[in-house]
Amino acid sequence: MAGYASCRLDIDGIRKTYAGGVVAVDDISLTVEKGEVLALLGPSGCGKTTLLQSIAGFVTPDRGDIALDGQSILTVAPERRRTAMMFQHYALFPHMSVRDNIGFGLKMMKVAKPEAVRRIDDVLRLVRIEALAERMPSQLSGGQRQRVALARAVVTEPRMLLLDEPLGALDQNLREEMQSELRKLQQRLGLTTVMVTHDQREAIVLSDRIAVMHDGKVEQIGTARDIYDHPCTCYVANFTGVENLLPAERGAEGVVILAGVAIEGIVDPGLAARKGAVTLAVRSEAISLSPGVSHGAIPATVTFVQMLGASMRYEVELDDGTRLVVAEVRRETAPYSVGDKVSARFAANRCSILEA
Amino acid sequence: MTRQAFLLSLPALLLVCLFGVVMFSFAEISLLSMKPGAAVFSGPPSLANYERLLASSGAWRAVATTMRLSFIITVLCIVAGYPLARVLARSPSASLRRFVLFCLVGTFLSGGVTRAYAWLIILGNRGIINRGLEAFGLPTLKLLNNEFAVVVSVLNFVLPFFVMTLFGALKTIPATLEDASRNLGASPMRTFLHVTLPLSIPGLAVSTSLCFAMSLGAFLFPQMLGGGRVQVLATAIYERIQASYNIPEAAALAFLFFILVIVILVVTGLLRRLVGRRFAGDPA
Ligand SMILES: Nc1ncnc2c1ncn2[C@@H]1O[C@H](COP(=O)(O)OP(=O)(O)OP(=O)(O)O)[C@@H](O)[C@H]1O
Ligand SMILES: [Mg+2]
Repeated sequence: MAGYASCRLDIDGIRKTYAGGVVAVDDISLTVEKGEVLALLGPSGCGKTTLLQSIAGFVTPDRGDIALDGQSILTVAPERRRTAMMFQHYALFPHMSVRDNIGFGLKMMKVAKPEAVRRIDDVLRLVRIEALAERMPSQLSGGQRQRVALARAVVTEPRMLLLDEPLGALDQNLREEMQSELRKLQQRLGLTTVMVTHDQREAIVLSDRIAVMHDGKVEQIGTARDIYDHPCTCYVANFTGVENLLPAERGAEGVVILAGVAIEGIVDPGLAARKGAVTLAVRSEAISLSPGVSHGAIPATVTFVQMLGASMRYEVELDDGTRLVVAEVRRETAPYSVGDKVSARFAANRCSILEA
Repeated sequence: MTRQAFLLSLPALLLVCLFGVVMFSFAEISLLSMKPGAAVFSGPPSLANYERLLASSGAWRAVATTMRLSFIITVLCIVAGYPLARVLARSPSASLRRFVLFCLVGTFLSGGVTRAYAWLIILGNRGIINRGLEAFGLPTLKLLNNEFAVVVSVLNFVLPFFVMTLFGALKTIPATLEDASRNLGASPMRTFLHVTLPLSIPGLAVSTSLCFAMSLGAFLFPQMLGGGRVQVLATAIYERIQASYNIPEAAALAFLFFILVIVILVVTGLLRRLVGRRFAGDPA
């Protein structure tokens, strides 16, 4: 399929207050480059859908601007924006067949019949539902509906794609299968995409960059790797599943003191000036254990052992009572057991220093 | 039918039986005739009443008037009621929704006779409309005791029922379907034509038949605002009871009315099944 003229999206200081004074989106600015996929990640009610609907034109922001390729679209009617949306519950037209659902946008754009038929057939093939073309939406499974909704959104060759919880209604297995399919399709079409999800794994798998939202604000925006390894607030760390948020002390020159032991080499230019109490955020897999006492590592005692298949999960207690969660790939040697004395070593480049 | 289901539906069944008995009793009376010079009716049973009615132009005219007025009222109801129902179901402005709801419930709650008098006052020769016209030096209009008055007042009577039923149906159409349509390039008008309207057809069919049935049977408003000059079936029956005191003939006319309603119900039922099959997909 050709003809996708993707656009750059600029959102500048958008704010939306609903009747009743709920500030759903609070001064958000961000840019999505041509062909890039941005995931809006956040808990329920943080304003993801509202932001998406402002882009599509169903919600008019109180202030700020939204521009596609540098041109403001705020005054453009929703039907003229060409920002194809896939809705949270798909919103397929129940009185139209799969073919008519997909063809609806083409019909509205007055695409000639033979051309429309060709494009519908193409997109049916693309999402692999050729055999379902004449069915009604009520005769489809969840995964099939999701494909129809996706086909309906991309067949009009939109300027950008908006996905609201694209896989939210699917069960876990189907979800994983559709994730890779969605990613492949997006890469093939090169469509600028904004996608909403509250599942951090999905955000990581499906997007180039992630914006973590909290109470209508963007808390952090960056690549999946940035966010995963270096959350910049406790909220982001917590939401993205960082298991260890440890109270620590910041000494001089990139030294962090945890339970009386100095951890060296943590580079965190953003907080270079901060002294005193901080929070150290470390994922369980960025900590490794070794038996006995070793230099530069923190002595600890194993308090809990759990086998997770490919890896082991330990809980250890430091001398000052701080608890750590550690995940280790299983090794040939026997795993530690409760009561073992071990040393915990932190991978300094995967630690983040956050405000206390 | 299980025992419990039977017990639960017993009151309804009894009520239906009662209706049957009433129906049967006036079907029976319709076969009798008045004794000349006395206020009693007696046998032998014959179809004479029916023969007379079917041959009389007055009865046929009443049927024609009833059908015509009901049709006009129903059309007006759709034209006026659909937008109102839509406002109730979709308007983002809560105060507008409350205002419309208040007006509708207001008409529900004010009794029929009160409302009929209100219309007498509004439409009368010295009513607001005519006095307004006079004030501007315009000729006054004859607004009472004619079909216009009947149509306006019956419309006022059935509109709330129509709007509330349709509102319920419109409310079940997810608003995101309309958003999806806009998102795919359809203007508000085309969204209405291609999405909202087809999806509301089943609900519209129900509220329209309700509206038509209520207009067919309306008695009070044609009686009070038609001033004897608009003869619909209900008033024709009433006249046979009250004025000419010919109860068997009234019963015969009522029975014919009943058959007419059944025919209309069957026809609209078939139509409904037809459109239902065409338009009612359950929302996916
Ligand atoms: N039409 C509305 N009127 C008033 N408040 C609203 C409206 N729509 C959303 N809100 C409020 O705005 C906030 C953000 O809602 P939004 O739908 O954008 O959240 P979300 O991040 O998409 O949540 P979810 O993950 O549950 O879909 C919520 O607090 C919600 O209650
Ligand atoms: Mg949402």
